[in-house]
Amino acid sequence: MTVTQFVIASAVLFSIGVYGVLVRRSAVMVLMSVELILNSVNINLVAFGALHDNIAGEVFALFVITVAAAEVGVGLALVLLIFRNRKNINIHEVDLMKG
Amino acid sequence: MVAQNIAFGVMVGIMGLSAIRVVTTRNVVHAALYLMVVLATVAGLFLLLGAEFLGITQVLIYIGAVIVLFLFGIMLTGARIGKEKLLSHRNKVPALMIATVITAVSIYAAIDYFGADKLPEETRTSTKEVANSLFSQYIIPFEVASVLLLAALIGAIVIARREPHEENLTK
Amino acid sequence: MTTLNWGSISSMLVLFGTAILVVTVASLIKSSKKDLLVQVMTALGGLGGLAAVIIYWHRVSSDGAKLSFADTVRIDHLALFIIGVISSIVFLSALTLKSFFAREKLFRAVTTEIYVLILLSATGGAIMASANDLIVLFMGLEVLSLAAYILAASNIRKAQSQESGMKYFVIGAFASGFFLYGIALIYGATGSTKLAQISQKLVSGAFVDDGFLLGGIALFLVGLLFKVSAVPFHVWTPDVYEGAPSPFVAFMSSAVKVAGFVALIRVLGGALIESAADWQPIIYAVSIASMAVGTLAALVQTNVKRILAYSSIAHAGYILIGIQAATKDGFAASLWYLAIYAMLAFASFSIVAAREGAISGNSINDPNHIDNYRGLASKQPFLAVIFAILLLAQAGVPPTSGFYAKFSVISAVVDARSYPLAIVAMIIAVAAAFIYIRLLIVMFFTPADSSLLGGATMSKTAFSKTTSKTMSPITQLDASENSDATFDKWKKLGANKLNLAVLTLAAAFTIAMGVYPAPLLELAQSAAQSLV
Repeated sequence: MTVTQFVIASAVLFSIGVYGVLVRRSAVMVLMSVELILNSVNINLVAFGALHDNIAGEVFALFVITVAAAEVGVGLALVLLIFRNRKNINIHEVDLMKG
Repeated sequence: MVAQNIAFGVMVGIMGLSAIRVVTTRNVVHAALYLMVVLATVAGLFLLLGAEFLGITQVLIYIGAVIVLFLFGIMLTGARIGKEKLLSHRNKVPALMIATVITAVSIYAAIDYFGADKLPEETRTSTKEVANSLFSQYIIPFEVASVLLLAALIGAIVIARREPHEENLTK
Repeated sequence: MTTLNWGSISSMLVLFGTAILVVTVASLIKSSKKDLLVQVMTALGGLGGLAAVIIYWHRVSSDGAKLSFADTVRIDHLALFIIGVISSIVFLSALTLKSFFAREKLFRAVTTEIYVLILLSATGGAIMASANDLIVLFMGLEVLSLAAYILAASNIRKAQSQESGMKYFVIGAFASGFFLYGIALIYGATGSTKLAQISQKLVSGAFVDDGFLLGGIALFLVGLLFKVSAVPFHVWTPDVYEGAPSPFVAFMSSAVKVAGFVALIRVLGGALIESAADWQPIIYAVSIASMAVGTLAALVQTNVKRILAYSSIAHAGYILIGIQAATKDGFAASLWYLAIYAMLAFASFSIVAAREGAISGNSINDPNHIDNYRGLASKQPFLAVIFAILLLAQAGVPPTSGFYAKFSVISAVVDARSYPLAIVAMIIAVAAAFIYIRLLIVMFFTPADSSLLGGATMSKTAFSKTTSKTMSPITQLDASENSDATFDKWKKLGANKLNLAVLTLAAAFTIAMGVYPAPLLELAQSAAQSLV
């Protein structure tokens, strides 16, 4: 196995995630795309950790997972809040302010 | 080595296809389930790289908790199980271009920089090593993680509160 | 064995400890004095953080920078300078919040939690300021931002606030993704997440023309530039600032931005200083774009909060000028600008918050419309004079602090021989003066009466526009609820006086720093010297 394989896999996942964030309308779907991005970062971190024989990559990935979980929690709380008052979680129709 | 490469190919193939389905499907629940497949293959990649503890954590936290959270979110926002107009797409073309450029540049940079550098044969990291560094070298980020979770907890309380008279109003 | 030097991070521990203490005490006490107690504790927490900074400043002066926790944390003058700024903002925020809670009934159930979130966010900022490892930097950034997302959305019955929180969150999470991917690439290229080791690797010269590292730096910058709202990553700023509750915008535009900039300075000026040639062009372009777009957009806005938001984007451009110079003087100038900007932004948005409280009775939907500031000089002369001082400082008129701030970043960049940037910055500074002069004219030279006419027609259109889009009946109820009676009550509470005291302090600081800038400038210089 070469490290390039993993970096390419990660780049593909990252790009798919970026695409998802840019095209999706529903806030829940955008959150899922963000999760794809975070996972691509983790693949990179672990692969580089293995390459440099360095524990930092793996530990960093653990922290990224923690942060992702916290972010999803807060994000879904926000989605529910908006939904409760408007019955609509489409982030691009949520547009009272123009600018 | 060949077996590992085959495993890698299979997992990345499944991962890529499922990830594309996550961002293209018009069914919210399907998207969550495809996301679960992506997360599972990523856990597989971690195991392939010898990061056992991380692989297990990925399964426990991501598949065990985050996906369930997503499904709860979908359920509570009353998304219909099935196709929805809401899930239509916008700016497909520019987004596709950005994604392609990022992929191309990263692949080029990776091949240019790492070429065919082989990973070390033995990349296994024991859970003991992870634990040791977590509680010595990385004690500060570990403690900060607890601050983060506290902030998320309190934040969820602030957002999710209901005024006593609010319920009467909405009815 | 790692030595755990908890004393060195005492300022962070004070901020975090106060947060814990506030939660605990508030859950034990049921008396009506709870709110006051919580407020006093938060203010003391801010002061305590500042005290810890002052104590440690002298220790660091004599013993040098303190590295602890296996070199993941570095307490030097730079960290202490920024923690000092953030702690002061916490202190001032705590003082101004009471009047806001008094008039916004909705917050009464969660006043404690809001104070705690501010303290936690400040803790995250302090962690970022002292990070010597990209992992610590990332964790600090997440604590800081997560709390800020919640603060933006915390006015849960206002559709605008919800939307602002959601937008802030989505953009923030996306930016974090870029930030992380950049860090991962930097880690891959250099083999370390420790700032000191990254800089050593670069010094060794192994990375000449390295596309992989460059890609990492670029993505890392995209992530951070989102956070400090520099053009072209600024689009969220006016919307989020407009929708979020004003007192929290005051906190977000000061403390949160300061923390974002210190991360830029730490990484670019410390770890990546050797590859300055790689990132300088990016910062160059972003800085010019931020100044130009921020200024031009601010000129055409009609909402005071949006004007201030765009002007904060322009200020971000000026702060980046000093970073672009990539010299010690440049970083010192940026840090000084940052401290002054933090105070100006905080005080300006606090004035907006105070003004909202005074007019929410008679304007239906947009209490921040510029028409509501007509004739402010005759209605609330004191507030108008303070706002005038702050605006003149933002315009860079001598002898206010803003003049020396702009002067020092431009002279730093002239020393670094980027003449075009200096000239563009000066031209834009002149153009920017119109933003603030326009507000001054409205406040001082327009009769208050005309507001009835202009304001009514304006708010009518705004009203119909908003009602058609708002689903919730609650939003409209809000407007009628905030009657003049509430405001009178608010006035009687005396909380207003505390706000005015804070604003006076800010104005005094602004003038003092303009007349006698030397002490703070020296602090900023020794902070910049502590960069590796």
